[in-house]
Amino acid sequence: MPNPEVSLRYPQFLVLSMSLPTPPPETVFFGGLPFGAIEAIKAAYGVVAQILDPPRDGYNLTMKLNLSKLPQDEELQYDLLEKVASLREVVLGAPLRVVLKHLASKKVAPDVDRLVALVHRPKESFFLVPEADKVTVVFPMRFKDSIDTVLAISFLQEFVEARRTAGLNNAPPCFWSPSPPLELREAPTEALSANSGFVTFVIFPRHVEGRKLDRTVWSLLTFHAYVSYHVKCSEGFMHTRMRRRVESLIQVLFSSPLALRFAYPASMDEKHLLSSSRAQWFDTPFFCKSSIEATLQVFPYNEP
Amino acid sequence: MDAAASRPAVVIDNGTGFSKMGFAGNVEPCFIIPTVVAVNESFLNQPRGSVKGSNWLAQHSAGVMADLDFYIGEEAVVRSRSSSSYNLSYPIQHGQVENWDAMERFWQQCIFNYLRCDPEDHYFLLTESPLTPPENREYTGEIMFETFNVPGLYIAVQPVLALAAGYTTSKCEMTGVVVDVGDGATHVVPVADGYVIGSSIKSIPIAGRDVTNFVQQLMRERGEHVPPEDSFEVARKVKEMFCYTCSDIVKEYNKHDKEPSKYIKQWRGIKPKTGAPYSCDVGYERFLGPEIFFNPEIYSSDFTTPLPSVIDKCIQSAPIDTRRALYKNIVLSGGSTMFKDFHRRLQRDLKKIVDARVLASDARLDGEAKTQPVEVNVVSHPIQRFAVWFGGSVLASTPEFYAVKLELGTSS
Repeated sequence: MPNPEVSLRYPQFLVLSMSLPTPPPETVFFGGLPFGAIEAIKAAYGVVAQILDPPRDGYNLTMKLNLSKLPQDEELQYDLLEKVASLREVVLGAPLRVVLKHLASKKVAPDVDRLVALVHRPKESFFLVPEADKVTVVFPMRFKDSIDTVLAISFLQEFVEARRTAGLNNAPPCFWSPSPPLELREAPTEALSANSGFVTFVIFPRHVEGRKLDRTVWSLLTFHAYVSYHVKCSEGFMHTRMRRRVESLIQVLFSSPLALRFAYPASMDEKHLLSSSRAQWFDTPFFCKSSIEATLQVFPYNEP
Repeated sequence: MDAAASRPAVVIDNGTGFSKMGFAGNVEPCFIIPTVVAVNESFLNQPRGSVKGSNWLAQHSAGVMADLDFYIGEEAVVRSRSSSSYNLSYPIQHGQVENWDAMERFWQQCIFNYLRCDPEDHYFLLTESPLTPPENREYTGEIMFETFNVPGLYIAVQPVLALAAGYTTSKCEMTGVVVDVGDGATHVVPVADGYVIGSSIKSIPIAGRDVTNFVQQLMRERGEHVPPEDSFEVARKVKEMFCYTCSDIVKEYNKHDKEPSKYIKQWRGIKPKTGAPYSCDVGYERFLGPEIFFNPEIYSSDFTTPLPSVIDKCIQSAPIDTRRALYKNIVLSGGSTMFKDFHRRLQRDLKKIVDARVLASDARLDGEAKTQPVEVNVVSHPIQRFAVWFGGSVLASTPEFYAVKLELGTSS
């Protein structure tokens, strides 16, 4: 989470600190940052940013932005500010960017392992398998809520299915499997406990040519957020539908005088029930369950 | 402490007219957007019976797609104007959530599209108006916990937050009357030590939207050339830009008549249909608009009690030991209290009522006992427009906040 500080005396300076998600044991940080992060920051912000060492207490990175050095051109300025806002992507995506850049020139990045773990959420990481002609990216998907898990699984299955449509032939191939794919043989076992399965993307050099690189890095890094967004939205959508169905069922129930007679004492006449107490009934959460039960229990015995 | 506690809480204040949202600890909300959802209801109008056999599937999926097809805020207004398939739905009416489906969609977009955060990673602070039934709170909790899986939720009462907003500007004073004039509703809410005195809450059917209506009506009657489809928007902007509170209507009329060049303003706009520029005069409505709070009879014949007497009645109905403290701290909140000198006029009128009462009681006692003068104080501060949100931001950034929030499972 970034934390900006401004002092009134030097309004042209903005000090920005950021703490990264806690890395799981398999991810290696160099000096508190993913590898290549310092270079990535320098490349992204140029003269505007200066990294302060050591960072502020409780943060992984602190940098000082010199606002007087912002480019004059308004469009460039906007671009740079947007980059500042996506600091997290620049820092966490740095290793990914290095690997994919080498892929573009069909090389394996020097001094990287056969399996690279990148942190993207607290104590969670995803994995890269860099090769000369392709990079395999594996996301172990985890969700806290059991309903989310189910929705995520079916979403991911559909997602993989959608990749097969004709228009998407050039997109990176993707797979979903409930068990860890072969690429993760060497990964530690605790990294392999994912309740929503594993998603694998295979990135080819054609996906990282020129300007496509930025978009690919961004999409991969925000993949979990993307799935999570869709899961939450489908949940909301289902609630909307369920609510509508319950309302229509309650309406059907009210149109049957039988239910009313059994659910409420006979002393009240139907007309009164229908008009005045309907509104109160709606608000009583136990109305449906208890009164239907009452109706069902009473019904057979009262049959003449 | 868990990860969510290290991130700032999300503060969303959903009002009838506008929703204010942002992160705790900030001074201003990140977004202020109209509380409106444009829903695609075109499929609803198709006759049900006419569809047969295999077609029902197509209709079903059309319904599904239409359910997912919606916009909120400014975008909703623009969409509904340009296309006939969208209908505007206002999920909050008079401070109460009326349409939960629309509200859920609204929150969903607020979180994912505006604030762009993962709801699982942040605590939430939402607001509700003082007379909300507990069922609504349950419903809100249900949506927040079950749809969005928020780690914790606190639902605060708006006037209490408005009081808390004054917390930083002066001292910590949790007793006072909050005069909340929003777009759709005006409430006068006494709060003692942070607790709302529910029985003394007074509501007034005159609010910001009525000021706009009145300005629109005055301009139409004078025959200003404003394109009819734009006139409400123009009236709203005129209200926001030019309206002020006067001390005396008659004097103000005289001032205007003597120096029209100084007081009459020009409004320039562009006709939405032809694109031709036009201009019109803004005259008496500048002070007559806000005047409807002080002399409601010029606007409506149904409600004629001026705002100062409503406040007075409200305080008089509160427990006797809180009244002095209440008179001392009258806090304004809501966008429609932003008119220039609004708080001065309110203070003066209220003081008049109180002083008259003190005089009468002195006369009745005939000099046997002297009544202590009552201090009347209307507090105005620059963040009035989103005082409730700011109060929420202050409250949610204190460490105590994490001790009082609701967690999943405690709500039911």
